[in-house]
Amino acid sequence: MSDPNAQSLFRLRVRYRKTGRLAYLGHLEVIHTIERIVRRAGLPYAVTQGFSPHMRVGFSSALPVGTSSTCEWYDLFLTDLIPVPEAFERLHAASPADLAPDLAAYIDVKAPALTAQITRCEYRVMLHMAAAYESRGEAIAGIIDTLLSEGPIEYQRGRKFKKLDLAGTIASFDVAREDAKTMVLTLDTRVSNEGALRPEILLAALDRRLVGGPFASEPIVSTGIQDLISIERYDVCRISQHIEDENATLRPVLEVFDVPSRPVAATHVPSL
Amino acid sequence: MRIPYEDRFSDLEPLLARVEKPSRYIDHEWGTLSSAEADYRACLIYPDVYEVGLPNQGLTILYNILNHQEGISCERAYLPWIDMADAMREANVPLLSLEGAAPLASFDVVGFHIPHEMACTNYPEALDLAGIPLFAKDRDEDDPLIIAGGPSVYNPEPVAAFFDAILIGEGEESLVEVCRTHQRLRDAGASRIEILRALALVPGTYVPALYEECHDGPCTEHGYVVPKQGEDVPSVVYKRVIADFSSTNPVPQTVMPYAQLVHDRLSVEVLRGCARGCRFCQAGITYRPVRERTPDQVVSAVMGGLKDTGYDEVSLTSLSTTDHSCCSQILARLNRRLADTGIRVSIPSQRLDSFGVDMALQVAGEKKGGLTFAPEAGSQRLRDVINKNVTENDLERATRAAFEAGWRRVKLYFMMGLPGERDEDIVAIANLADKTYELAREVVPKAQRGNVSVSISCSVFIPKAQTPFQWCAQTPDEEVKRRQQLLLASVRNRAVRVHYHDADTSLLEAVLSRGGRDITPLIVGAWKRGARFDAWTEQFDLSRWEDAAAELGIDLRAVASTPFDLDMRLPWEHVSPGVKRGFLEREYRKSLEGETTPDCTRTSCTGCGICPTIHASNVLVGERG
Repeated sequence: MSDPNAQSLFRLRVRYRKTGRLAYLGHLEVIHTIERIVRRAGLPYAVTQGFSPHMRVGFSSALPVGTSSTCEWYDLFLTDLIPVPEAFERLHAASPADLAPDLAAYIDVKAPALTAQITRCEYRVMLHMAAAYESRGEAIAGIIDTLLSEGPIEYQRGRKFKKLDLAGTIASFDVAREDAKTMVLTLDTRVSNEGALRPEILLAALDRRLVGGPFASEPIVSTGIQDLISIERYDVCRISQHIEDENATLRPVLEVFDVPSRPVAATHVPSL
Repeated sequence: MRIPYEDRFSDLEPLLARVEKPSRYIDHEWGTLSSAEADYRACLIYPDVYEVGLPNQGLTILYNILNHQEGISCERAYLPWIDMADAMREANVPLLSLEGAAPLASFDVVGFHIPHEMACTNYPEALDLAGIPLFAKDRDEDDPLIIAGGPSVYNPEPVAAFFDAILIGEGEESLVEVCRTHQRLRDAGASRIEILRALALVPGTYVPALYEECHDGPCTEHGYVVPKQGEDVPSVVYKRVIADFSSTNPVPQTVMPYAQLVHDRLSVEVLRGCARGCRFCQAGITYRPVRERTPDQVVSAVMGGLKDTGYDEVSLTSLSTTDHSCCSQILARLNRRLADTGIRVSIPSQRLDSFGVDMALQVAGEKKGGLTFAPEAGSQRLRDVINKNVTENDLERATRAAFEAGWRRVKLYFMMGLPGERDEDIVAIANLADKTYELAREVVPKAQRGNVSVSISCSVFIPKAQTPFQWCAQTPDEEVKRRQQLLLASVRNRAVRVHYHDADTSLLEAVLSRGGRDITPLIVGAWKRGARFDAWTEQFDLSRWEDAAAELGIDLRAVASTPFDLDMRLPWEHVSPGVKRGFLEREYRKSLEGETTPDCTRTSCTGCGICPTIHASNVLVGERG
């Protein structure tokens, strides 16, 4: 390929979902799948120069295994300008329904990377309480307040010992009862180079306080999906990502008004 | 009552939190082909984890073919890794298919792939997890038909008792015939034994229950297998071959995995069969005759397959892709079409001459990793014994060309314990590697010499059924270990690294390759002691096998290293790839004289007997160089 600087590039920003069973995909699995979607869509993607050429595409921050999302993003660099509705349709037709695109528009080629722009993430966590703990749902808000006041949560990830700075990463939170068994925890979090909140670490800490006794001081190991005692099952969903500007105003990741968005038609890949 | 076909994913889902790589179990990939409604349901299972099994080309072909049959739906299953298998047992969840998440036991037919000997403990593991009786003899009318097929069926006896029928050879046509026969008899209300008898009459189908082991006359301690008294079944089951290879779909792959696979790419089978005639090689006999696809078919298959799948790599697969008569033309055309796409072409192995390096260069691009050559034996004498028709000059030219073209890492692959091997042959391996390293120092510019790496990889020879070496013994493991030390001591250059295969695994592989029905209790005994995933080095534990063998009074070392006489009936002669016994005997005798046999795709017929026996012939689309 000729000199990349001599070539005009177009940067398509796409919002997509990660839902249903595909929540169990790891970040690398999602990346590989999106790259294959782009190739199946036949879009004129740009290729990096150098030793092992690969598609020029950048993603928003990694979503853990088991976490779903309504608002993941990637920036795809194209060598030709394909009208947005056409590019969107082609991506859509090449996607499994649970990783389908929902929004797309061109942005400034020189804009900062998604991971540099996005500084706020909101998670909704559905907590399906174990039978013995159903009545303890109302204690959750107090426990999180206590955890916030106690400083960082220590945990182990692989061989490394890490600290989660709760106070620095949680901008606000809310706990509400959904039904007799289910609590809804909403977390508005800050994301920066210093760190991001891994919701499952907070849940592991919460579980230890809810159960109490000697278990309260049990070390936390980040294993992906946590196997908890007081919480029978939980679903984490990333429900928004925002750019926080210098005035502390939250702005959308893509500021467009007339964009293709449509009810998602079922492709032949079934969804849960 | 057969257990119902129903979606049990909700039973499996809570377990996903406890296992590594949940994406192995979630299905919902792009491009699955099964249908929700079907009159006849098949499930094809690979006896290893998802990421090893999904890329398997044989199962991919059969999955595609079955799902294009009216009224038949075919799903996939893989063996859950030990973490998931244990969690499923604890939670009472049976082995499920991927697409429908339905119990395997609810299907009409379950087809196992038999990739190699070391998968043997995974058959009882899978059947047990599925709640299906381990042995064909214990199954009743409600159990699915359990069939098997694949490359490693040419001594089926050690695993035969697990299966109701074993399909010998290429399954494109025979699997459909087996399923249709079963479907028809099922609808007619036939009993299990009636179905088995009918299947035995489908050409290429071996039904173990209708045969018995016999020890009359000269034979090995494992006996041989003949039709049971009164059963009207063929005394030799010949393999099936697809009548017209070029009419088969060159791109059967449709399912796009999420998990990263061992071979994560598009595969296009450019030719089938190899006639080089290496005497240790089972595939070199069992995949004959040689059949090539045309360059036009290959190029359009690659372009179409990449577009449909979205893969960024394509592998041109076969036993020896650089032997394709139009290899150079195919690579040149693909390189032109794929320029500036970031899509790579790969070929699985290099021919050991400068042509091989030219081809490697065509697909390498800027990134030159390692290049592997397989001289197989260190000395010319021993290479003649095994009919590896490669000279030291070929090797020198090939490695010189590789270093000159910019490769810095070269791996040389050898076998140890070959028939007639002497200490001087081991020393010759070391000398060859030293010479290759010195050649690299001579060719590679001074500034880059630090990057040069030459390594030796040495496996242990395993005598395989249906080869000229099928009568040979395996070198005893203690002797193999001595020769491995001799090799280490003989390498002069400290920069040459030596890797050798585990002698324990090789010992067991020989037992499983040479034994008969007497080996089945050994497999079950080892499995009961926890053996599974034995092909995974870190899972394999010889002591489980030794304990099981001790209980049964089997001497593993004696089974592996007792040679067979030429006049003995062998445990596997009732299944045949079509090769004439006389040809194998002649090749064996020639090996003792160090006499070589040419490749019939480059000279004339060498009389292996396969073409006339199975009514097929070599199909080349050009002149082979």
